[in-house]
Amino acid sequence: MSSVFTLPQAAKEELLLKELSALTEHHRENCEPYARILAANGYQPASSVEGLPWLPVRLFKNLELKSIPDDQVYKVLTSSGTTGSEVSRIYLDKAAAGEQTRKLGATVQSVLGPKRLPMILVDTKAMLKDRTSFSARGAGVLGMSNFGRNHVWALDNEGHVDVEALKGFLDQYGDEPFLIFGFTYLVWLHLYEVALENGLDLSNGILIHSGGWKKLVDQAVSPEEFRKRLAAVGLTQVHNYYGMIEQIGTIFLEGPSGGSLYCPDFADVVIRDPETWAEQPVGKPGLIEVISTLPTSYPGHVLLTEDLGVVHGVDDGDWPGKRFSVLGRLPRAEARGCSDTYREAA
Amino acid sequence: MIQYRFGAEGDLTAPSDDRLTVGDPRVIDFLAKLARKLLAPAVARRHPELGSLGFFLRPAELNRTVGHLQRDDALVFPRGNVFHIPPANVDTIFVYSWALSALAGNHNVVRISERSATAADTILTALNEVLADADPVIGRTQRMITYGRDDKVTAALSHWADLRVIWGGDSAVEAIRKHPLRPSARDLTFPDRTSWAALSAAGWRAAEPAQRRDAVLGFTNDSYWFDQAACSSPRTVFLVGEDTGDVREEFIELLLQVVDQRGWEIDAAMAVEKRVNAYGLAATGAVSSMAFPANSVTAMSLSAVPDAPRRWIGAGAFPFAEVGSLLELVPAMNRQDQTFSHFGFSRDELREFALALGGRGVDRIVPFGSALTFGSLWDGYDLPREFTRLTTLVE
Repeated sequence: MSSVFTLPQAAKEELLLKELSALTEHHRENCEPYARILAANGYQPASSVEGLPWLPVRLFKNLELKSIPDDQVYKVLTSSGTTGSEVSRIYLDKAAAGEQTRKLGATVQSVLGPKRLPMILVDTKAMLKDRTSFSARGAGVLGMSNFGRNHVWALDNEGHVDVEALKGFLDQYGDEPFLIFGFTYLVWLHLYEVALENGLDLSNGILIHSGGWKKLVDQAVSPEEFRKRLAAVGLTQVHNYYGMIEQIGTIFLEGPSGGSLYCPDFADVVIRDPETWAEQPVGKPGLIEVISTLPTSYPGHVLLTEDLGVVHGVDDGDWPGKRFSVLGRLPRAEARGCSDTYREAA
Repeated sequence: MIQYRFGAEGDLTAPSDDRLTVGDPRVIDFLAKLARKLLAPAVARRHPELGSLGFFLRPAELNRTVGHLQRDDALVFPRGNVFHIPPANVDTIFVYSWALSALAGNHNVVRISERSATAADTILTALNEVLADADPVIGRTQRMITYGRDDKVTAALSHWADLRVIWGGDSAVEAIRKHPLRPSARDLTFPDRTSWAALSAAGWRAAEPAQRRDAVLGFTNDSYWFDQAACSSPRTVFLVGEDTGDVREEFIELLLQVVDQRGWEIDAAMAVEKRVNAYGLAATGAVSSMAFPANSVTAMSLSAVPDAPRRWIGAGAFPFAEVGSLLELVPAMNRQDQTFSHFGFSRDELREFALALGGRGVDRIVPFGSALTFGSLWDGYDLPREFTRLTTLVE
């Protein structure tokens, strides 16, 4: 099976340093605000991946950052932020849009194989019509649906589990490998419990899921527990992933034995100490910086997220490179001043 | 759902037969007892900001304020019913706002935010302890309440009020103003403000090391107390003079030391917030350089004085700009500007600056360390006068 998880860390860093340094120059030349930021920050060419200049990911909510002329803009992706009011804007030209689709495909094929598989979408079709939640959730579902065929929606238009549809799907395709995709908490709330109650056989399924653990942690379900319980209904091929619209096409995928996310050959993570901003050693949590060669049309190739994570090991897991976990989100800083917004209704 | 935090429960807008006078002895007695509680060492240690409040409420201060209100050409009376909407996060404002209004003899209703912090609870506890032994008229005429999303309550109190006091910035003022007042009533508003600091390079260089250190200590109190987000907290620092690089360098060096010693902590979330804002300013060209010597201090160089940001950019975030003299700042100041903290200037320089501003901007020009010190002259208002009305009597 062809894979994008092949490069040991040293070889990857050599490659990434070269490509990302070139990308940094490319964006400096083509994105004036980016060039100004680097100049103001005393930019020097980097001698290591860790030394590459990063941007806070939230800048894409506040600024229009793109490295292509207006007439080359092919797609503008938007994501609703956690506050709902701020939206990231990501500008893609045709080449970047094509490349992100190809690289996302290559990444998921690393665990699915080259053929499109019958697919269960653990979501509701109605969600696609909901304008408010479409951008984030809908784009994720639609993007991933390309990697499957003969799709079935696990939830009906009212958001209830469509057990008959699932049974029908399993009767037809359950004896061969099939793909299951959904947001982590939907998989937990709807697929897991229904499979348990109805004795559905999911043992040929390959689950790819994402979307943060907060809602599950609130119910005291840890990632380990999630995996263990799914295994109890036969679902043992489970891959969580971490990704964001600001680095569309790049996902960090959980390895077959679970517990760690891995970086594809064209991407990496650096965990930073939020006090010194230097790279943390293995085992020490910090802020996650995500690095990818895919953002060519906007300067999103080195981004400091507001997620906390930890690297568990390097070149010592299912696949080569760094393996890491996402631990949670940094709370948003709030002013406690006298001109604070009057958020409660008057 | 109204939660009564202080004073008698029941209909807040019912007509009342109780009458208080300007400087009513029962109110002064109450406030003096409150001051003693707030000045108690145990309280002041936990919430130093309550110490300043206690100082403000001492009988001598109150009597001086009442004395200032008296005039020869008119009789001075309470304004009537006053509805206060203080900000959520600066815990002491509601007391200043209310106490001056109570001192003027008004019937008050204060809306205390659901998001109010621990110092507010401490004050409310003290208020209620004093109330237990106070004249019952206090509880009948002075009420503090908390309520959530309820336009009906705001509307009713707005209709009841002769004066509505709106703190909390532009959005608060706009939200509250949707509720009409009676034709005879009016608003006292405290919209978004910006505050500045200015450092005379000559004054700095002439000062003793200990004076420089004291100046920086005062400046850190002004800046870090409310995460640099109080309307009076200085943000941009103007370096006044020529070749001020050395002054800026020493100032930042001392700032790092003092902040560290005082234990002002800037967490990761705030550090990220400051990066986002500093990078944003760099992206637009408003700042030409930025430095992050520690999470506690973010230093930026403004490209030009008019680029000085007027919005909050984080706790410990300081744009710097060099100007030849204070007068060069005059065109950049406007009505939004409130406090201008200074160090190292002569009296004449400051006076010349104030006269050149001519009231078109900047309400307070105060030394480093005094930016947050509340006074009854605030935002250009003489608050005790705002809380009273005048009757002309010609015999």
